[in-house]
Amino acid sequence: MVDQAVIREKAKEIVSREDVKHLVGWRKGTFGYRVSPHWVETPEDAEKLIFSPLCSPNLTTYLTLEEKLPLPKGEEPDRRKTALLVKGCDSRAAVQLLTEQGIEKEQVLILGVPCRGVIDQRKLEEKFPEALGGVEAEWDGDKIRLRFPEGEKEIAREELLAGNCLNCRYPNPVWAEEILGDEVEPWSDGKAPGVEELEKASPDDRWAFWEKEFSRCLRCYSCRNVCPMCYCEDCILDRLNPTWVYRSVNYSENTAFHIARAFHLVGRCVGCGECERVCPAGIPLGKLNQKMVEEVRDKYGFEAGTDPESLPFQASYDPQDQEDFIL
Amino acid sequence: MSEPFEPNIVAFLCNWCSYAGADLAGTSRVKYSSNIKIIRVMCSGRVNPLFVMNALQQGADGVLISGCHPGDCHYLEGNMYARRRFGLIKELMEFVGVDPRRIHMSWVSASEGGKWKDVVEKVVEDVREAGPFEQFKRDKINW
Repeated sequence: MVDQAVIREKAKEIVSREDVKHLVGWRKGTFGYRVSPHWVETPEDAEKLIFSPLCSPNLTTYLTLEEKLPLPKGEEPDRRKTALLVKGCDSRAAVQLLTEQGIEKEQVLILGVPCRGVIDQRKLEEKFPEALGGVEAEWDGDKIRLRFPEGEKEIAREELLAGNCLNCRYPNPVWAEEILGDEVEPWSDGKAPGVEELEKASPDDRWAFWEKEFSRCLRCYSCRNVCPMCYCEDCILDRLNPTWVYRSVNYSENTAFHIARAFHLVGRCVGCGECERVCPAGIPLGKLNQKMVEEVRDKYGFEAGTDPESLPFQASYDPQDQEDFIL
Repeated sequence: MSEPFEPNIVAFLCNWCSYAGADLAGTSRVKYSSNIKIIRVMCSGRVNPLFVMNALQQGADGVLISGCHPGDCHYLEGNMYARRRFGLIKELMEFVGVDPRRIHMSWVSASEGGKWKDVVEKVVEDVREAGPFEQFKRDKINW
């Protein structure tokens, strides 16, 4: 757990440094309980920084989203660092980007904040509809304390945590310049709830489940846009020649899109749960990703974003890889 | 009157081993099912999982990917990547509810015309059991 005052102090110190361009953190959003990303350019901006169970956005995605315009002739590129506040999962995303050479080590300054799991906004709105009027949250041991304008409420942590946090194995940042606050004890073995039941179901039941989910997809591509791992400049989904996935919204194309998306994240997904959080149709994309995370962990012994020295999973091989499925 | 179901299978064969193996089966007059439509690729590592999905979307009932035995790859390690990738796409498709009997991978070398026949017969039999693929075929949807 970390005090907000500590984060603000540190942020002030960091942004006053010569070699730092800005720091990305969280601040209170403009609507209800929502939290939005906050760019700290000057020490005064740091006063707005917060860190609470509502800070679910994964800020690592802004490292690759930043637009790099062509420079005028003779002008030097800005080589100052981007500082970033990261939770456990976000730091794994940063490590994964590093192993894929999506970012350079010199380009970033990572400040870790240990996290006890963030709140799932759908669960919050379901249990406390008044949260839309604004609420502040904080961790308190195994409970989450919610501070409404009319008074405080307490609720068990498990009831509000996002799905990906329930099976989080890395609540502490794995790679950071400095970790602010005390480390927390991991609470899970990494088995995602709901995945095992689906595995045990018959293929027809599984298809029925996914057909129902995929047919609701609007193809807004929010899941792709928010994903810290989806940063290809030329995405197959935008490509028209050849057209791998048609733009029509029907379950043939939706299924193809979701399989392609999930496959591109195999061995790369860090389980930050952003895709599921931003999905306007509430498709449980986390289940699809977590299934593959477990697959890669159990059968290949690889976990994305835990080792900055490792090779990307799909761009490496082990001669002893299993091949019992090969004729 | 209904005709018996004849599966439509797309096979991606690597240029250096499996394609030559299939060629050998042909020149040695080995008889095997004609349900298989061969697409030659330079290496099994060239096979993008999207190929598999697109084949299924466009009317294939099954897909076969075939390459050199591990260690025999013309490009030294292409089939190793293919193996890792294929194991994962198979798991993923299975998790979504696609019958695992529809997707196969095999190692067939240039001298294994006989093995190529066995592989084809096995795949055709499996896909025949699984039946026509209707789950996310493109032309099934009509809106």
